Amino acid sequence: MITTTSLYDQLTSLYKEKRNDTESAWLSNLREDAFKAFTRNGFPTTKQEDWRFTNIAPFLKEDFLLHPGEASLHSSKKAGSIPQFDAHEIVLKNGMLNEDVTIPGISISPLRTALKDERFKSYLSKHIPLNAQPMAALNTAMFEHGIVIEADKNIIADKPIHVTYIYNAAEPVFVQPRLLIIANKSSKLQVVESLLIMGESPIFINSVTECYVAENAQADHYVLQVTPPNVRWVNFNQTIQSADSLYNNYTYTLPGGLLFRNNIHLDLNGTNTESHLYGLYLTGPGQLTDNHTCVNHLNPNCFSNELYKGVLMRDSRAVFNGKIFVQQDAQKTNAFQQNNNMLLSNNAIIDSKPQLEIFADDVKCSHGSTVGNFNDEALFYLKARGIGDVAARNLLVNAFAFDVTNKIQVPAVQEYVEKIITQKMAEAYD
Amino acid sequence: MPNKSDDILEEYSNKEYEFGFVTDIEMEVAPKGLSEETIHFISAKKGEPQWLLDWRLKAYQSFLKQPEPHWQNFELPKVDFQDISYYAAPKSGAKYKSLDEVDPELIATFEKLGIPLSEQKILAGVAVDAVFDSVSVATTYKETLKEHGIIFCSISEAVKEHSELVQKYLGTVVPHSDNLYAALNAAVFSDGSFVYIPKGVRCPMELSTYFRINTENTGQFERTLIIADEGSYVSYLEGCTAPKRDENQLHAAVVELIAMENAEIKYSTVQNWYPGDKEGNGGIYNFVTKRGVCRGAHAKISWTQVETGSAITWKYPSVILQGDYSTGEFYSVAVTKNKQIADTGTKMFHIGKGTKSRIISKGISAGEGQNSYRGLVQVSAKAENARNFTQCDSLLIGDRCGAHTFPYIESKNSSATIEHEATTSKIGEDQIFYLNQRGIDTEKAVALIVNGYAKEVLNQLPMEFAVEAQKLLSISLEGSVG
Repeated sequence: MITTTSLYDQLTSLYKEKRNDTESAWLSNLREDAFKAFTRNGFPTTKQEDWRFTNIAPFLKEDFLLHPGEASLHSSKKAGSIPQFDAHEIVLKNGMLNEDVTIPGISISPLRTALKDERFKSYLSKHIPLNAQPMAALNTAMFEHGIVIEADKNIIADKPIHVTYIYNAAEPVFVQPRLLIIANKSSKLQVVESLLIMGESPIFINSVTECYVAENAQADHYVLQVTPPNVRWVNFNQTIQSADSLYNNYTYTLPGGLLFRNNIHLDLNGTNTESHLYGLYLTGPGQLTDNHTCVNHLNPNCFSNELYKGVLMRDSRAVFNGKIFVQQDAQKTNAFQQNNNMLLSNNAIIDSKPQLEIFADDVKCSHGSTVGNFNDEALFYLKARGIGDVAARNLLVNAFAFDVTNKIQVPAVQEYVEKIITQKMAEAYD
Repeated sequence: MPNKSDDILEEYSNKEYEFGFVTDIEMEVAPKGLSEETIHFISAKKGEPQWLLDWRLKAYQSFLKQPEPHWQNFELPKVDFQDISYYAAPKSGAKYKSLDEVDPELIATFEKLGIPLSEQKILAGVAVDAVFDSVSVATTYKETLKEHGIIFCSISEAVKEHSELVQKYLGTVVPHSDNLYAALNAAVFSDGSFVYIPKGVRCPMELSTYFRINTENTGQFERTLIIADEGSYVSYLEGCTAPKRDENQLHAAVVELIAMENAEIKYSTVQNWYPGDKEGNGGIYNFVTKRGVCRGAHAKISWTQVETGSAITWKYPSVILQGDYSTGEFYSVAVTKNKQIADTGTKMFHIGKGTKSRIISKGISAGEGQNSYRGLVQVSAKAENARNFTQCDSLLIGDRCGAHTFPYIESKNSSATIEHEATTSKIGEDQIFYLNQRGIDTEKAVALIVNGYAKEVLNQLPMEFAVEAQKLLSISLEGSVG
């Protein structure tokens, strides 16, 4: 195991060591390209526009292990971290799938096994802009474990699929999970991702998820970022939608880990698609949550809607950057984007950058962004009716978040998220 | 209708620049090239004091150190700074006392542009400090202004006669090292306007300067400095048209506004420089740094701009809201057609308590025009109860144009309220149909809709300018049916 001072050196030497691996030619070529893309500029810095407000350098200084220790995980059997959640449970211990999961019509397989199949050549990293995304490039170059979830044609999953990542962070560890979701023609599935950390050393997660939604298919994708403080998480999510498909992304980041960076990229590769991106970020003390979304309208008659809401508590920072591109062929596009923020403290900082780039004329696009605090009149109204200050504020925060939380289509998940919001808000006033 | 609109689009995009002509006046032109000698030459030519020469040289040093910017949303054409002549003055460089002494050809030029100096004095009550290329040749209404203690003159005159004022304020809002083009301007600025409004004085008329680029290959580097002392008010108008030209011309102006306690500055611009032909050849590069600072409490600075010309417009009139309860405003209409590019917007820095800002930006893109709004609203931790409202709308005419918005919103204060909204759409067919039904032809309907769309901004312009701007907008929009 390599433990040098610099993570960068550590990663590059590990990469070189592994080059003579037994992977198929297309995969090692892809990894080589990705590795070059990463090493061109190394880890992103605040000099780059996309990372202007998010400095990951302080989080990379640990003496990371690149393979988490495998002991001490056997105690945690099934995940089940979400109460009363009736789902197909998939548990990835230190990134690895240990037991077979059988779901009718849906295949779940370890990525490394699956990638022996040439078929995945047309999926893996096919749409990720590696040169512009150093972290996703690093993952592509070096990911080891991960899974493929593939729904067959015309299959409608009976229950949501819950993927729980369990990591051992007894020592500082740097992990790169990878998930590939494929919803074939006219299929429908729901995937919920959550995380469970054992141990209290810093864990840096650099994850990549790719999601292909084929013609007439529907995919709901939940990422629940409920974590202990030792988590730092950079997440890249690339979705490609074909004609007549529907994709919903729900990214909820709650107080806990110190760094979250979500890149949600969506390419609308077919006509008549519908997409919804919902995000909620509650930032706790010392936390930085950065959401970068990018919706690329490439074809006519597509609809995209984006709603991100944030509540910033003391000593926290949030960044929102939402891009919408409407390319020249994408006539009759409807694209909406909204970002609302509540700053609960003068020590909190918000940087919001909604961005539209439009090259077609027959479109309806709008974005809105607001920053504010509690509405004094609303507070007064509640207090006048005998509701205490803290309770009134909690009520208003819950109401503010409700716009996003009520979009969750799985009741157990919705209850779970709402409960954590209430709990975290209560802590905020203690 | 598709055919009809195609015809109109064709006709529209073929439209030649209406104000393209060249005035033939003997010029005194500095040799091409930029070096310390050029700066010494300009400074000597204008008989400047040592401090200004030193400042210019410092700026030149910082100009040399700065790389070309690369963040803008267009491809920056390579500007050969050595291929520009940095000084041009009409040969009869002496100051004129009355209009009779002014070269008749010059007067004719202004008349062609519809701004007859002689009539304007009577009709509009506007004092015009006409900058013909780089040296002011006629300043009117000076006497009236003098009575109020207002100083309104060319900046070179101000350097001679009010040296202490210029020295005190020059470069305090836009430092000589601010950006590449501001540094270039500071190093080689040839002329510009200087305005000082004393305490408690309300300027009795709109102050106005018409800029006009005339000599081939002469980049214009204007520098404007406006100071409104405590409790004063001034409205300043800037407007420009340029003769037709095939070679690109660089214009890198700097405007600095300083508003003291309770003072108000209203700065309006109508910009209609040569935009290049429909292939995008020629045209002016308009790279301008405009910034104002509200120094005292309750000060107000308001920028209004109507941008229809230039091949590339690149400017962000900004306000630093330093004084408590100060206000910043930005109203903009930017029209791009053919291959024109406009990358414009504003920055509002909320520093003082209770500061307010309002941003209204309307972009209209036609043909292959590209329109970008780029803005920054920054609320510092001490700016209690700061308030911002931003609205930036884009109208697209034709399927080859583009509209882009890059707003940055940064808040460090929880009591601040910031609102931003942006929309993009084309002119609705139902709206056109509605007007058609009522006997208004499509072209007029478009003009009507667009004028209505831009009204919020046009309303901010002073009377004399609003008329010109409306005319300009409808000329620009002739035949632009989507």
